Amino acid sequence: MRAKKSDIFKALVIISVTTLLVVNSKSIANQSRVKFVDFISPVLKTVKTAASSVRAIIPFATLREENRILRERINLLNRRIDELKVLSAENDRLKTLLAFRKSVPYSTIPAQVIGRDPTNWSNSIIIDKGSLNGLRENRPVLFTKGLVGRLIEIGRTSAKVLLITDPNSKVGVLIERNRQGGILAGRPDGRCKVVYIALDSDVAPGDKVITAGFGSVFPKDIMVGVVTRVGKEPGRLYKYAIVKTAEDLSKLEEVLCIR
Amino acid sequence: MYKINRFQIYLIILAVLVLQAGILNSIKIFGAKPDLVLISVIFFALFFGSGAGLESGLIAGFLQDLFAFDFFFANTLTLGLTGFIAGLISNNFFKDSSRAEFLAVVFFTIWSMSLHYIFIWLFSKPLSISYPEFFISAVIPAGLYTGLVSIPLHKIFINIYNLKEADDYL
Repeated sequence: MRAKKSDIFKALVIISVTTLLVVNSKSIANQSRVKFVDFISPVLKTVKTAASSVRAIIPFATLREENRILRERINLLNRRIDELKVLSAENDRLKTLLAFRKSVPYSTIPAQVIGRDPTNWSNSIIIDKGSLNGLRENRPVLFTKGLVGRLIEIGRTSAKVLLITDPNSKVGVLIERNRQGGILAGRPDGRCKVVYIALDSDVAPGDKVITAGFGSVFPKDIMVGVVTRVGKEPGRLYKYAIVKTAEDLSKLEEVLCIR
Repeated sequence: MYKINRFQIYLIILAVLVLQAGILNSIKIFGAKPDLVLISVIFFALFFGSGAGLESGLIAGFLQDLFAFDFFFANTLTLGLTGFIAGLISNNFFKDSSRAEFLAVVFFTIWSMSLHYIFIWLFSKPLSISYPEFFISAVIPAGLYTGLVSIPLHKIFINIYNLKEADDYL
């Protein structure tokens, strides 16, 4: 199709005007640009501020996440520290137990306390060793500071220890200082009482109480506890002494059983 | 009267007994530890009647006898009787009151420990502690301690059971 004369004329006019504008555009262009930039600058400023804020927020989000992770790590490490403290305490106890085990002239088996008498009347513990480990009835049970009790019921993999604080427990004992004899009996309140102490005996608070070794159950000279109070029951021909056990028997976690 | 599943009673008593045998020794005060088993038996007796009290008491006592080293059935008898008597007063008892629960538990702790002392005194070896001394040094601390622990435990039990009429009958 051939172009019309009028179209050609229009095209020439547009090209001429554009050419003129291009040739003389410097001032026009500058003004236009300045005005345009002026016009757009608030928008740019807003966008820039927004962008800056976004840039500021993005690290915060990252920081928050980092903070969360670090907090979790702190919690984890704190738990580890707590676990290590428990392990360290256990390690110290076991070291003491091992040293004590080497020092006693008996063959012993270490055992862990896994349960206790649930009543307020009796005082016995359950340990995790039994006949399979060579335990036998009526064998003494010790810990590092002194006598704990004796084995009374032996299962294959567990055993029950009658503590010296149980009302059914009776142990022949001596006051170490004056070799005065007596019978140590347990009480439901968790303490012990030495009875049948001669009236003329000078037993006093602070005296150490040791096993007498009279019977066949407990060896001689094992530490039992310390006298805290001495008294005389009315109508009786002997004194008694209240004894604090060498070990805190309510907090035992491991024991040594003599084979 | 509320109703309860018998199996739940046994399960709770067993759980409480294991808890008591396992860890409660570490929170002894004046040689006494809270008797959760007794609290449970009293709770069952007060809310579900003397039958439930007797039954839960006998079961709990029998389980305690398996742990203990007294003459067998001392705990069975003591807890069975305690549960039964607690059940008898349940109709005249304001069950939702913590104070009433505290007083009931203190009373029944004193009652059951005294009963235990009498049983041991009658049927077992001679005791190295007189009753007044036993009462002051063991019964009173245990009674108060158990009573105090019973207040939150009572609320926990009430929430567990949501004490409404249930489908199962004891």
